[in-house]
Amino acid sequence: MEGWLIPFRGAMRFQLRALRRTPTYLMVLVTIPSYTVIFLALTDQADRPDLFGAAVLAPVLIAMWGVAIWVAGMIVRGDRFLGVLEAAIATPTPYSVVLLARILVVTLAGWVAMAETWLTAWIGFGVVIEIPHPVTFVLTVALTTLAMAATAVIMASAFVLSRVANTFATSASYPFYVLGGVLVPVALLPAWVQPLSRLVFLSWSSDLLRDSLALAPVTNVAGRLAAIAVLTVAGFAVAAWTLGRVLHHVRETGELAFR
Amino acid sequence: MSAAIEVRDLTRVFEGSKRRGRERDEVVALDHLDLVVDEGQVHGLLGPNGAGKTTLVKILSTVLLPTAGSASVLGRDVVRETRAVRPLIGIVFGGERGLYGRLTALDNLRYWAALHRLADAEGLRRAHELLDRVGLHERADDRVETFSRGMMQRLHLARGLVGDPPVLFLDEPTTGLDPIAALDFRRLVDELRGEGRTILLTTHDMVEAEAVCDRVALIDRGTLLAVEAPRTLATWIARYERIDVDGASEEVLAQVRGLPGVSAVNRREDGGARIETDADGATQQVLRTLVDHGITSVQTSLPNLTEVYVHLVGDRGLEV
Repeated sequence: MEGWLIPFRGAMRFQLRALRRTPTYLMVLVTIPSYTVIFLALTDQADRPDLFGAAVLAPVLIAMWGVAIWVAGMIVRGDRFLGVLEAAIATPTPYSVVLLARILVVTLAGWVAMAETWLTAWIGFGVVIEIPHPVTFVLTVALTTLAMAATAVIMASAFVLSRVANTFATSASYPFYVLGGVLVPVALLPAWVQPLSRLVFLSWSSDLLRDSLALAPVTNVAGRLAAIAVLTVAGFAVAAWTLGRVLHHVRETGELAFR
Repeated sequence: MSAAIEVRDLTRVFEGSKRRGRERDEVVALDHLDLVVDEGQVHGLLGPNGAGKTTLVKILSTVLLPTAGSASVLGRDVVRETRAVRPLIGIVFGGERGLYGRLTALDNLRYWAALHRLADAEGLRRAHELLDRVGLHERADDRVETFSRGMMQRLHLARGLVGDPPVLFLDEPTTGLDPIAALDFRRLVDELRGEGRTILLTTHDMVEAEAVCDRVALIDRGTLLAVEAPRTLATWIARYERIDVDGASEEVLAQVRGLPGVSAVNRREDGGARIETDADGATQQVLRTLVDHGITSVQTSLPNLTEVYVHLVGDRGLEV
């Protein structure tokens, strides 16, 4: 584990520099205000001020996941295009660790989206979104960021396998939003879907974030945060295994550099 | 002297595209190849495009799996002991790819240092040390995309050395470099040899192979043709000379054709002729004959690798 911390930190520092040179990593920030306006307009028209919090969280979570997936693909495609992928695979550091670190940096930077939505709500609708449970909110945001990066590494495997994985990743995101309770809380989904959605970290995250914006006390914070943490670790384990298998496959077919 | 690289019966077959109603094509890149490179040697891998040089380097550097056979680096099997092999090797690719152009040379090297698990301070020190060594210290904070090809190549070498590997693979490292830059690069390779590193260098440049290698393996169509000392290459180059001549009549050319050591005499499209020799001293005799007939518009030149291949292995050496 200790041996991974050095490359992990190094890859994070590298990505931070790359982010400064390539702001297109965060293109999604351009579209966020529009989504926020749509969601807020719907809740405003329905006269449901109690849902304003949910209306600003949904575009943030969609944007964050979008950033994570977009970056996973961009890193793999970029490394392949630049002829760096083979050299990276041949180092002593597993590529999954490198990807996790690099995706994490951009996803962290992506939280600027939250400031955008808050501002959009205030400027466009005169709504000030307050955070009555800031500690829960911050802890959830931190864990969710890590979980998103870890899960995006699974998607990166698809990008190693195929150049057109973007379409797949975008399509796969929609069930993820539904199961993650991003737009509609899990409790409102059909009963048979609910156990399945509990396997998706985002369902815990979105519920907890919404609760931390409400005045009512948040229940079982530790347990729910632990659920996100466990799903994060499990997600990364699956990601590392999947990426390992995919890399073995492309080493076998000789398509590591060409796909 | 023990073996740093050992390749036994190595075969790599690539599956080509499938055509309608036909079996999938197969391309044999390496065909039961055997090769041993001793520790501390600079070993050249010489062959035309498509000979299998890069395939071999990719297998040895663990980014490609062989179809059959075995390969090891410092006694570690590249397939079964991949994790043990990776800290032992450095890879240097030729050309402009393989670097992050928008980032600085220092950023690039620090990244690779981290991937080789050098702690922050150690990685920074190593990056500066290597930039100094390859003569790029002044450009450490410049974006790599602003570098000339020669500078990029030196940075490639620095990247390959960042993990301080005992075994280095240089894949066509001087491709596209101007002669001065290529000479500088060869000097660096010479220094690395002095440090006791084992270097496997692929090239299609016979002169380069002769200049820097202790041994040279000649490879064609995935098979090893010969492993020779560079001295032997020099002999080949000297033996297989070509003479371009203008104004020679058919009679003179017929006389030249009959000289010992003349392997071919062909008319060029522009009306001149090219005479090829394949024996020591044959060129001098040809020149004497031409001068005796009052022909002085003559130019001699050494063959390139492809032409030597034609002599050594026949026309099949040119097909890739």
